[in-house]
Amino acid sequence: MEKREIERFNIIERLQHVILLCTFLLVAFTGWALKYPDVGEYSSWWIKIWGGAKKAGIIHRVAGVIMVLDFIWHALYMAYRLLTGKIKIRAATTVIPLPKDVIDAIQNFLYFFGLRKEKPRFGRFSYAQKFDYWAVFWGMGIIGLSGLCLAFPVQASYFFPSWSLNWIWETIAIMHSDEALLAIVFILIFHFYNEHLKFHNFPMSMVWITGRISVETLKEEHPLEYEVLKKEGKVE
Amino acid sequence: MEKRLGFLVPFLLLIFLSGISYAQTYTCLVCHSAMKQKIKTEAGEVVNLWIDEERFMNSVHGFASCDTCHKLFSENPHQRPAKTMPPNLGEAFQKIRSKAKVDGVALVACIECHPEVYREYSESIHGKNIMDKKMSDGPSCVDCHGSPHYIVSRNSKDSPVNKWNIVNTCGNCHENEAIAKKYGYGLHIVEKYNESFHGKKYRLGHENAPTCVDCHSYHKVKKWDDPQSPVSMVNRKVTCGKCHKGATDKFVVAITHKPIGKDNPVPYYAEKALMILTISVFAFITVHVVLEIYSEIRDKVFRKKEE
Repeated sequence: MEKREIERFNIIERLQHVILLCTFLLVAFTGWALKYPDVGEYSSWWIKIWGGAKKAGIIHRVAGVIMVLDFIWHALYMAYRLLTGKIKIRAATTVIPLPKDVIDAIQNFLYFFGLRKEKPRFGRFSYAQKFDYWAVFWGMGIIGLSGLCLAFPVQASYFFPSWSLNWIWETIAIMHSDEALLAIVFILIFHFYNEHLKFHNFPMSMVWITGRISVETLKEEHPLEYEVLKKEGKVE
Repeated sequence: MEKRLGFLVPFLLLIFLSGISYAQTYTCLVCHSAMKQKIKTEAGEVVNLWIDEERFMNSVHGFASCDTCHKLFSENPHQRPAKTMPPNLGEAFQKIRSKAKVDGVALVACIECHPEVYREYSESIHGKNIMDKKMSDGPSCVDCHGSPHYIVSRNSKDSPVNKWNIVNTCGNCHENEAIAKKYGYGLHIVEKYNESFHGKKYRLGHENAPTCVDCHSYHKVKKWDDPQSPVSMVNRKVTCGKCHKGATDKFVVAITHKPIGKDNPVPYYAEKALMILTISVFAFITVHVVLEIYSEIRDKVFRKKEE
C-alpha cells in the first residue's frame, strides 16, 4: 500500500477555501428566497429559517463582504508569492489556462466517448479545475462588484458616470441575480460532482481539509506535476 | 335569578350608554342586517344594502349612528324628511356625484370628520379625476378603504390599506388593463415593483420594505412628474432619503417602473447575453458530468477485468 503523501494546498489556501465555502453557502441560501420570492409558501418558509427577510439581508451582506475580502486576500497572497519567487509559472503546474487545456478537453471528451484509450495527462490543475478556479474570478467580478453596488447603493452612485444612469441600476441588478444563479448551478453540478461524486472522491475528497494528496493519486490524476516533482526529488 | 341579573345589569348599562344613537342604528339594522339579496335602485343600479351588524359594530365607525353619514333620504325609498345639510357637504356631493350609486351624500360625509384628508384628496390626481373630470371610475374614499361600514384600522390585517394589502389595492386599478388603457398609464408598474428589490423584500415580509404609498404618498398622490409629487425629480432626494440617507441625484434615478425593452439596450442585451452564458455553461457542465459518469461506470464496471 502506498501511504506517502505530499502537501497540495497549504494552510493559508485551505483557510481561504473554507471561508469561501462558508460565505458562498450563506449568500446562496439567503439570496435564494429573494431571487424567487413567489414560490407559494416555500419562499416565506425558507426566509423564516434565516430569521426573516431583514435578518437574511444582513447575513447576505455580511457574508458577501467577507467573501470579497477573502477573494482580495487570495489575490494579494498569490501576487505576493509570484513576485517573491515562492511560486513559479510553469506549464505543468500553473493554474493559468494554456492552449494545452483546450486539447486536453477535446481529448477527454474523446475518452468519454471511447474514442481514445488513455485519459489526457493533466498537470497540477486539469482544465476542469482551472475552469472551476477562474469561475470564482468571474463571479467575484460580476456578482461581487454588482453586489457591493446593491448593498451600498448611495455610496456606489458617486462612482457612476452620469451617462450610465439610464441603464446601470437595471444592469447591475440583472448581473447580480443572473450570475448568482450561474454560480449556484456551477457549484451544484460541476464542483459537487468533481469533488464528491467521482468514484475515487466519494463521498468527498479530503484535500480541502488535510491539504495532502497521496503520491499514488498524484501520479494518476496529475502525471505532469508528478514528473516535475520527481525531477526535483520531492517525490519518489 | 341572580345569574340573570348579573347579565342584565351590564347589558342595560350598555344600552343606556349607547343611548339614542344605538337605538336609531338598531332600528335601521332590523331590516338592513337581514337584506342579504341585492336590490335594484330606481336608477337601475344593482346594489347591496346588507349590513353585517357585527362587522359594523366592530369597525372604527361602529360608534356612529346611521344618520351620521346617511343624512338625506330624499333620493331613496325611505322618504324621510330631509335634514338640513351642511353647505360644504352639498358642495362636495355635487363634485363627487359621478361616483354615487346609492346615497351620494353619505359618500362624501367622510369629509365632516376628516376635512384635512378631503383637502389633500381634492388636490390629488385621484380626486381631480372624479371631482373635475367627473369620471365614474377611479378611487374615492371607499374604493381604497373598503366598505364604509366595515372600515378597520390600517394596522389591521383586514384593512385594504394595510401595509400587506396596499399593493394589491392599488393594483386593482393599476394592473387593470382597461383602466390603464383609458388613462394611458403603464401596465407594468406593479409588475416592475414586484421584480424590484423593494417589491421582493415586501413579498418576503420585510418590515422596512417600501410599498406604493411610502414613495408616492396616498391621499395627496400626484402624477410622478408633477413637481408636488414626492417622486418628482425635485423631491426625490428627500423621499428616497427617508430610507437611503444621503441619497444623491445619481441614486434617485434608479427606480422607473419601466419594463426593460430595446429602447434601453444595455440592460436588455446584458440580460440576453448573461442568459446565453448561463445556459451554455449549464449545458457544457451537464454534458461534461453526464459523459464522465458514463465513462467512469464503463471503466469501473465493464473494463475491470482487463486490468
